[in-house]
Amino acid sequence: MGLAISIQNLSKTYPVPFRRVRAFFRRPVKEPVEALRDVSFEVHTGEIFGLIGRNGAGKTTLTKIVATLVQPTTGSVAVRGHDSVRDDEHVRREVGLSTAEERSFYWRLTSEQNLLFFARLHGLSDRAAKQTIKDLFAKLELEEVARRRFGELSTGNKQRLAVARAMLSAPPVLLLDEPTRSLDPLAAQRMREMIRSLAQQDPPITILFTSHNLAEVETLCERVAIISRGHIRAIDTPTNLRALTSGSEVVHITVSDGEKVSFTRQHNDERLDEELRKLQSRGAKIIDIETERPTLLDVLERYETEDEPQKGTEGTQTKYY
Amino acid sequence: MNALRLLPRRIFAFVARDFRLFVSYRMQFFLRIVSVLAVVTTLFFISKIFAGFTDPQFSQWRDPLATWLTGLAVLNYFMTGFSSLANSIRQEQMQGTLESVLLTPINLPTVIVASSAWDFLETTFFSFLYLFFGRVFFGVQYRGSFLLAFLFLILTTVVLSCLGILSASFAMVFKRGDPFGIFIGAGSALFSGVFFPTQLLNTYAGPKLGSVSLILPTTHGLDGIRQVLIEGHGLPEVAEPLFTLLGFLVVLLPFSLWVFSRAVRRAKREGSLIQY
Repeated sequence: MGLAISIQNLSKTYPVPFRRVRAFFRRPVKEPVEALRDVSFEVHTGEIFGLIGRNGAGKTTLTKIVATLVQPTTGSVAVRGHDSVRDDEHVRREVGLSTAEERSFYWRLTSEQNLLFFARLHGLSDRAAKQTIKDLFAKLELEEVARRRFGELSTGNKQRLAVARAMLSAPPVLLLDEPTRSLDPLAAQRMREMIRSLAQQDPPITILFTSHNLAEVETLCERVAIISRGHIRAIDTPTNLRALTSGSEVVHITVSDGEKVSFTRQHNDERLDEELRKLQSRGAKIIDIETERPTLLDVLERYETEDEPQKGTEGTQTKYY
Repeated sequence: MNALRLLPRRIFAFVARDFRLFVSYRMQFFLRIVSVLAVVTTLFFISKIFAGFTDPQFSQWRDPLATWLTGLAVLNYFMTGFSSLANSIRQEQMQGTLESVLLTPINLPTVIVASSAWDFLETTFFSFLYLFFGRVFFGVQYRGSFLLAFLFLILTTVVLSCLGILSASFAMVFKRGDPFGIFIGAGSALFSGVFFPTQLLNTYAGPKLGSVSLILPTTHGLDGIRQVLIEGHGLPEVAEPLFTLLGFLVVLLPFSLWVFSRAVRRAKREGSLIQY
């Protein structure tokens, strides 16, 4: 399986505009914002790769660098072998970005007119553009709002339109920034199914996926990177990440007379078998078994706690974005 | 090569988008036509005050209405050349759509040409309207080669577009407070001879202030067009303003493109493409 995205030692510090000029005039000068620190990872072709972290952790900056909208301070990003700075025009042909930013459309144009404009910029002929738009509207259930002005759409439909725009030129790499944020549960489920099918189609589409819905990330993504204060803390499958926090799980067994038995077991130990045998030997009828496993939220919390600046030293720390 | 092949399609994309946005405000369109007619009518009556009093040394001002109308029509065009790109960049920044546009595989020269295309079409219409109303309602006569006048128009517009690219670079980095806009916008009306002969500046304000008009491309463009349309001059007589404009172009075009690419790079470095 080839590499779709390769990120090497990527750092991004947002400079403070006219810092020296402000300093010269003895005006207060803000510290530069360090949004990413030495980030390296690779995403394979056809993989759904999740990026999770708190607000301001650096997810959007990372996504925008891959999309060539922001330039890195150091390090490099290559999309299917093309450098995002030196060969940015080529990278933009390979990448589709969908953000939850509502302001990225023309509010007085209809959904169809908006997409037609962007399709033409991608170089699609009018016939091809109209057919693609029709197909995307069908796929994302937007047919009913095709002729409605963007400003009149619901937040969920605006979000779906952003995903449709990202897919206009059928790019081999999709960057989806919280694509289900404003969708109702059923629409969100259908969106997830569509995302999964994109990665399974031939040729497969590679997806870099960010979301605050960790359950969604667990079910969709093959691998997940946890980003905290601009730094990648862990990259692995959701299962392995959960195991990082604790190898144990809590089991609750409910039996017919209302009795509840709870215990903690290590993954793959014999405790569950032993407890079940004990209960059955007493003639108890087992009604329900529940397990509480650590979630990605636990993992995220653990890293956030570790990375939290010590109280009292905040003033001397580098400020993170 | 591919970008060149796709250029017409991309220009059409911007024109179609801007046309759609334009017709979504229908009232504005009709009011602008009415306002052009009102300006032409007002100038007609003002010109009657000067009938028979024009100083013969100002050969372009024998019919002040014709001179004002060419001045306004052409200034309108020049200002579009100068301001359309910066306005378009500001507009996209304000709307938050600049990132989406720059996310498509189009190069910077395409953005520059395509995002101004509709403004030029619109201005062509309204500039023509000044001349049309003057001719149809007030009998203004134009003579000389329209082709030569058109050459001046295009050349001056391209020179001003270079200043417009510099202005857009300021919009990209500083968002507001563009010194080119103030200099060219306010300066052209005052120093380029749109409403009065530039020679009067020398007489009443002194040669230093009078020489400001010489560093404005609009002065030379307007002078050339009026020499052709009002005095009926041919190519040999207008060689001086023509070569002056070519000189401006040779210096400003590469410089402005270089500055604009630096401005985009800076905005990407600062992550401020979407900010306004």
